[in-house]
Amino acid sequence: MAERKTMICCKCQKEMKPGKTTFNYLGHSFYTDILKCPECGEIFISEELVRGRITEVEMQLEDK
Amino acid sequence: MDFPQVIRKTYSVCPICLERIPAQHVRINGDVFLQKKCVRHGFFSSIIWRSNIQISEWIGNLPEIKEGENLNCPKGCGLCPDHKQDTCCVLLEVTSRCNLNCPYCFADSKDAADPTLEQIVDWLKQLAVPGKTLVQLSGGEPTVRDDLPEIVISAKQAGCQYVQLNTNGIRLGEDKEYVKKLSEAGLSFVFMQFDGMDDDINYQLRGRSLLDLKKKAIENCAAYQIGVTLVPMLVPGVNTHNLGEILRYAIAMSPAVRGVHFQPVSYFGRAPVMPLDEVRFTLDELLFQIEQQMEGQIKLYNLIPSRCDHPFCGFHGDFVVMPDGLEALSRRDVTVSGTCCGSEQVSADKNRAFVARRWERQKLSGALSSCGCSDVQDIQDMDYFLQRVKSHGFTVTAMAFQDAGNLDLERLRRCSLHVFDHGKFVPFCAHYLSGWGLKN
Repeated sequence: MAERKTMICCKCQKEMKPGKTTFNYLGHSFYTDILKCPECGEIFISEELVRGRITEVEMQLEDK
Repeated sequence: MDFPQVIRKTYSVCPICLERIPAQHVRINGDVFLQKKCVRHGFFSSIIWRSNIQISEWIGNLPEIKEGENLNCPKGCGLCPDHKQDTCCVLLEVTSRCNLNCPYCFADSKDAADPTLEQIVDWLKQLAVPGKTLVQLSGGEPTVRDDLPEIVISAKQAGCQYVQLNTNGIRLGEDKEYVKKLSEAGLSFVFMQFDGMDDDINYQLRGRSLLDLKKKAIENCAAYQIGVTLVPMLVPGVNTHNLGEILRYAIAMSPAVRGVHFQPVSYFGRAPVMPLDEVRFTLDELLFQIEQQMEGQIKLYNLIPSRCDHPFCGFHGDFVVMPDGLEALSRRDVTVSGTCCGSEQVSADKNRAFVARRWERQKLSGALSSCGCSDVQDIQDMDYFLQRVKSHGFTVTAMAFQDAGNLDLERLRRCSLHVFDHGKFVPFCAHYLSGWGLKN
């Protein structure tokens, strides 16, 4: 069974929870759930997300 | 009337003897003409731009062709070191026969013997750059060959990444088993001649009714997951009023139809007459008419000048078909390079990857079905967007081919569509260039 990892906000020491976060790129906005500090709103963007879906969105939007 | 104003210098050919001669873009009352003078055959003028869009904004700060550059162009064509673009798409004629006899045909098809399969396999091995090549099987009408599926297999075996079929769609509509074989052979996508939503248009341009067959061809391709891009040839007075209807039909047929690729008529091949300016449909007229006839669904700023070829050679617009209409992805004022005009050149590799991504039907994974449906239908939802753009991506593109009247060597030297001809890669408009006979 995979270990469930908890992410703690380094400023507030609160557990980060998935929350809707909006990204802007080339005039378009997209949202997805990302770990967010319930206190200060700091977000954690995983390398998996950056290399995966975010890269894919960029590729789809970049014109030829 | 304003004084004529020279706004650009270039080189062209005499439309009679096809000798390379200086030419200039001359603005007269807002319209722009390519004008040139042959010492033997006289003065020639062809309209290249009307006053719908600022020509300078469209072309940006692209450098002119200078004296002493591209001296072998177009006679020595076969990609010389002076050519300024690589091959994006290579066209291979697999037959010169055709099952239509259109008054307009760039290839001027005729009943000559077909090259053998062995000959074609040899050509494919010569032209393929494994993992890269997009080969367009053309003609004539390629589907008159029963062994076309074997040719597709051979192209894939030679290493072609994408195999595109350029067709009038007749056989694809009549012979579903043939479509199945093409799909199993690995055909990537289809460019299908589609001139209008009214059979009067087909009678005028192709000599017969075709609309129902074309619709059947789309249905048959959809059954085997082959993406179809509709390719209307636009002739003033015949079908330029119909492009909004064509686009609306194409959008309604998404995801089976992947886009519309407009080709304003050029006067070469089987139409080697000296055309009046009234029978030319300039790129800016096309842009303007798309916006007008789409009643705001597509804006001028969604259509971006070609940066793979020359900006006067075409444009592209990138969209997603949503249940309630089009969502535009491309905007001329927001691009990766930060330039809104045609001055920033894009590599042939990047261009090829883009068009293939949109024109090929992709196998979808994840929560969404192949129709791209889900409970969430919000384009701003990242997961939905990624699924929907793959299933229902849609392009509006254009390519304005050149003929002996409006051939501009500044454009030709940036051409990325090359015809494979006996071991040479020849820019499309140089390959099909035909003179107009002696001037009366």
